Amino acid sequence: MPVPRSLPALSLSAIAVAAAFAADPAKPDAAKLPPPAAGKIDFDRDVRPILAAHCFKCHGPEKQKGGLRLDDRKAALQGGNGGAVIFPGTSADSRLVHAVAGTDPDAKMPPEGPSLSAGQVGQLRAWIDQGAGYGTQAGPQSAGPAKSTHWAFQPIRRPAVPVTRDPKTSSHVRNSVDSFVLARLEKEGLNPSPEADRATLLRRVSLDLTGLPPPPAEVDAFLADAAPDAYEKVVDRLLASPHYGERWGRHWLDSARYADSDGYEKDTGRPFAWRYRDWMIGALNADLPFDRFTTDQLAGDLLPDATVDQKIATGFHRNTLTNKEGGVDQEEFRVAACVDRVNTTGKVWLGLTVGCAQCHDHKYDPISQREFYQLFAFFNSDRELDIDAPLASEREQFQARQAAFDAEKAKLRVAVEEARVKKLPAAELAKREKAQAAHAQKAPTPAKAMTLAAGPPRPTHVMLRGDFLRKGVEVKPGTLAVLHKPAAGGTRLDLARWLTSQDNPLTARVTVNWVWAKYFGRGLVSTPEDFGTQGDKPTHPELLDWLASEFKDPAPTPPSFPGKGVGGAGSERNPSPGPSPKKGGEEDSDSAPPSFPGKGVGGSGSEKGIGSGAWSLKRLHKLIVTSATYRQSSAVTPDLIARDPLNVLLARQSRLRLEAEIVRDEALAASGLLTRTVGGPSVRPPQPPGISELTYANSVRWVESTGPDRYKRGLYIWFQRTSPYPMLMTFDGPDSNVCVVRRERSNTPLQALALLNDAVFVECAQALAKRVLAEMKDAPAGARADLMFRLCLGREPAGKERDRLLKLVGEFRELAAANPAEAAKLVGQYKVEGVAPAEAAAWVALGRTLLNLDEFVTRE
Amino acid sequence: MHPHAEALIQSRRNFLATSANGVGLLALASLLRDDGQLTAADSSPLAVRPPHFAPKAKNCICIYLEGAPSQIDLFDPKPKLNEMHGQKLPESFTKNVRFAFLQKDTAAVLGCKRTWKKYGRGGMDLSDLLPHLGTVADDVCLVRSMHTEAFNHHPGQLLMNTGSTMFGRPSMGSWLTYGLGSESRNLPGYVVLNAGRGTSGGTSNWGSGFLPSSHAGVLFRNQGEPVLNLNNPAGLSAAMQAKTIEAVKDLNGVRNAQVGDPEVNSRIAAYELAYQMQSAAPELIDLTKEDRKTLDAYGLDRPEPEIKAARGGGKGEFRAFAANCLLARRLVERGVRFVSLFHASWDHHSNLDVELPHNCLMADQPVAALVRDLKQRGLLDSTLVLWLSEFGRTPLGENRDGRSDVTGRDHHPFCFSIWAAGGGIKGGQVVGKTDEFGWNVVEDPIHINDLHATVLHLFGLDHLKLTYKFQGRDFRLTDVGGKVVKKLLA
Repeated sequence: MPVPRSLPALSLSAIAVAAAFAADPAKPDAAKLPPPAAGKIDFDRDVRPILAAHCFKCHGPEKQKGGLRLDDRKAALQGGNGGAVIFPGTSADSRLVHAVAGTDPDAKMPPEGPSLSAGQVGQLRAWIDQGAGYGTQAGPQSAGPAKSTHWAFQPIRRPAVPVTRDPKTSSHVRNSVDSFVLARLEKEGLNPSPEADRATLLRRVSLDLTGLPPPPAEVDAFLADAAPDAYEKVVDRLLASPHYGERWGRHWLDSARYADSDGYEKDTGRPFAWRYRDWMIGALNADLPFDRFTTDQLAGDLLPDATVDQKIATGFHRNTLTNKEGGVDQEEFRVAACVDRVNTTGKVWLGLTVGCAQCHDHKYDPISQREFYQLFAFFNSDRELDIDAPLASEREQFQARQAAFDAEKAKLRVAVEEARVKKLPAAELAKREKAQAAHAQKAPTPAKAMTLAAGPPRPTHVMLRGDFLRKGVEVKPGTLAVLHKPAAGGTRLDLARWLTSQDNPLTARVTVNWVWAKYFGRGLVSTPEDFGTQGDKPTHPELLDWLASEFKDPAPTPPSFPGKGVGGAGSERNPSPGPSPKKGGEEDSDSAPPSFPGKGVGGSGSEKGIGSGAWSLKRLHKLIVTSATYRQSSAVTPDLIARDPLNVLLARQSRLRLEAEIVRDEALAASGLLTRTVGGPSVRPPQPPGISELTYANSVRWVESTGPDRYKRGLYIWFQRTSPYPMLMTFDGPDSNVCVVRRERSNTPLQALALLNDAVFVECAQALAKRVLAEMKDAPAGARADLMFRLCLGREPAGKERDRLLKLVGEFRELAAANPAEAAKLVGQYKVEGVAPAEAAAWVALGRTLLNLDEFVTRE
Repeated sequence: MHPHAEALIQSRRNFLATSANGVGLLALASLLRDDGQLTAADSSPLAVRPPHFAPKAKNCICIYLEGAPSQIDLFDPKPKLNEMHGQKLPESFTKNVRFAFLQKDTAAVLGCKRTWKKYGRGGMDLSDLLPHLGTVADDVCLVRSMHTEAFNHHPGQLLMNTGSTMFGRPSMGSWLTYGLGSESRNLPGYVVLNAGRGTSGGTSNWGSGFLPSSHAGVLFRNQGEPVLNLNNPAGLSAAMQAKTIEAVKDLNGVRNAQVGDPEVNSRIAAYELAYQMQSAAPELIDLTKEDRKTLDAYGLDRPEPEIKAARGGGKGEFRAFAANCLLARRLVERGVRFVSLFHASWDHHSNLDVELPHNCLMADQPVAALVRDLKQRGLLDSTLVLWLSEFGRTPLGENRDGRSDVTGRDHHPFCFSIWAAGGGIKGGQVVGKTDEFGWNVVEDPIHINDLHATVLHLFGLDHLKLTYKFQGRDFRLTDVGGKVVKKLLA
């Protein structure tokens, strides 16, 4: 939470002072204090009642606001986040006295309720002047670790799978997920929906697992496959597709606030940010277990014998913003980046708003400000480092070049030494030195990658009110007391291991909830970013815990899948990366080999691409998408909308507007334009003029990619933080400045205009028309319309729909024929030999219409 | 809601959304609201919503001068600086203060070369660079006591435009359309116009943050294609577009008969609005129907002097800025809630006495014309006009390392000037005072959060009640601060 900039009680001068002298708070005026009371003070008689009445509520055994505890002498003398508040013997210097007397402009205590009388302040002064002794009464209980009864902080215990009673619905159960969902539906007196029709189901699972629509041939094959495991085979195929890593990689990039530029005013490009993206796609395709996936990204550089890949993974926390604006205080923005690393880690793995404790103790959750800076301390000594990270493709070549360079370097050095030793003429020496210097400039430079590295230890202090200029007490790295056993040490590696500990009550819950929300449009906890006390409670707490258990610590035998075995459950606990998978689909012929050294962007974990051990994401995906709950129809009746408008109870699937990148990918796939190469540097497809010009000093040039790069998937589009690709923003893509675990899904006229007129979509309509006309040269209009419809929506049009399309194409033909010159413009470069421009134009217009249907941008 | 009511709304929605003449999203919303059936969750995000109490303002035109114009040379005369020109300031002023570029050990006061004149009944002091603004001084409330804590541009712009230096917060216009909806039938509720080069804050200055993207500012251009993707592709005639929109509606309707998803109706309505925008937006930017007198008043065809400076946006800014001012009035006339005009850059670290006059020559006349034009048309009472920037400039001359001459001023967060007019603002007055050096505020300090609280108040919104729950917390435009500044109110 942000800095409270001015307490209401602050006077004007105080504001000016606070702004101008933030590093050195004005010293309170001792002359304004009431005088100390006369006589000998008895703590229990004179002082404890005052503290108990006014202070202990916030600075006692229950709470230690500002890190300050006053009911125990040792703790009281230690002071709070800002340092000592009691100096025995000198009450006039003690901040405690000034706070309660109202003479400290930065802290007036108590903040609410009656102030202390001058007499009471005098008592406190006398007590401090006499040594601030505590009384003879038994000391307070030691604080001990914070305890909370909040559900999310309790250990995860694997719940028993409920037995559903109603035989009518019990047959609906395909795996344990359904048992939990049905148990709730039974309680509510609702029935689940029937399974979606097969074409809808195939399009749904294809879009969810790979982000690409099923081509007609795949639809036909699936519809024709009567085997009981036909659907499961599809799921296995999709999970083994290299496009799985792209689809789920894009979800993860939201969390990683990935971008290709620095952000802020200068917004300089980051030409090798993509190396992290490639690593991540490869890691997902290899089904790198989530604990290792986590460790590599948070502390890959600290692992013993860290590989280059592991260091690239640690680029996760290099996606923070960098401010190169002239005149900035670099320390301010170094701190801001560290704060973001803490906040992002807290949100992604713990589902907690730890950032709220940056300026003060968390208002709702048991996270103190001091703990925020203990987390901060894990990151505070890191250096940002760009490392040599040769691509697999250049590695050999680079080694050869490096060897040649080194050899030449040695030769030149010898020559220089020789000139010196033999005292050759000065001109000769100079010549040789010059050659040596010139050669040094020619060192071969391999591809680079961004990472973090442990730097020299830097002490961490609590930052008072979150202000990096106001240092409070020093803290050491430490984890949250309200959760499980603390981290074993103070490095990022210790933090990563703490996060993925089997005892961590949050990481597994938060992760399975994040995955679930992508499939149903809503998490079991509907606030995936907040599992704290202000977040929503889980709608199906037992299902959440069962999934979390299955994820982090799977049952030794596969969970019961009545009728349908889970399949693919191999035996490797930590699957080692395998060879590149088979082609993901009929149209994958141009998939490039992975550019991911060692692992392979497209590599998959086991033969079927699914790990079986702890923390396997693919196993989790399979569990969910093979459930009957997932396979339900998303059609809804007014009755059910009235009962459950948000689909909390899961008596149906949800219709979800597709993400920005997927809308574009789908149009490219339908039209046949899509470049399916996995991985590689970011690309710049056409964007409307005047976008980059809006950046500072018009400094960002958008040089359009040519060739296949124009048609790469949306997750590869160069992301310039101050002028993002407009289509992505129009469809609710995140701005990539902060971590996002849940996207908005809006529905706006600007989206309509983009689908209708954006150059990329117009080109897709043209290519789509050409594809259909070429494949169905002499076919009647009905067959052509069917193919076009199937390419876009993955199903046959209904009779009514076909009629409407044919009427429309007739109208378009007539309008196009009236002006052939205009028609030719509409066809553009996608002419088809032997087809008149007016005819082709009618089909372009029809294709454009289909790309604008609600169903096209919706996962049903 | 009762299932029956829901079903009724559903059927009415279907009727309206599929009726041949397309009543449209907003009409639909208002019909439902008349039924008393519409809750926030049902309604389109841009449906008109009532304020918390009777408003003064209905629309806002926010003129944002990126880079921080020098208040010392425009709004806040400090004769003391001329007396002290070349001398150092007492150390108490600069001790512990961070500057962007200024080297405080050697920094000296930079006097002001401007002459000053009193304008209006209240005798408002304005410099010789703002003679046109002087002619509407009686409508303008000049505030000299703004202060901020940000002293770099991007964070400063975020604070002024979104109420926080942090990323991801909705801008002022987004909060207003979120709170009140949009009254425009065929244009977005929040429109952004830019003249010259881009601002350093970029799109984050008009983003919707965590609010739905329908509340984000929509960038309009003042020539060519006014809205991104507005024009149909080459070769696609208006008749074809009409057929397309109709078919999209029909086919979506066929599908919705099976899936029953209310979102489908929202999409049908969105296509209708998009289609209407295709004719409304070009009509908006077509200035040929404005009479010569108006065009001249705004100064569209003024000569633009040559200038040797790297900072500005280049040739053509004068016309673009003037056109944007005129478009702002046209947008307000068409019910657009919030219009943002951006111009960069006023970041005069050097060459101040050349570039500031140039920028003012560009901005002064059209801005004054806008205020007068609104008033003549009876729109000023309900239209709040704001002149804003992110901070002010130092009384000390900027002696950046490696620069031999001192010809500019550095960033100054402790005091700066803005002005407001119309929409319930008490014109003809100066609010706030700074010390004789123009360093600190000495009277009526107004933080940016206070300004935002006041703006919302003018629109009939309580800044403490206009909240959006996000990540477990109720967020507001005024962050954790803000109080309404009564002195600004009429």
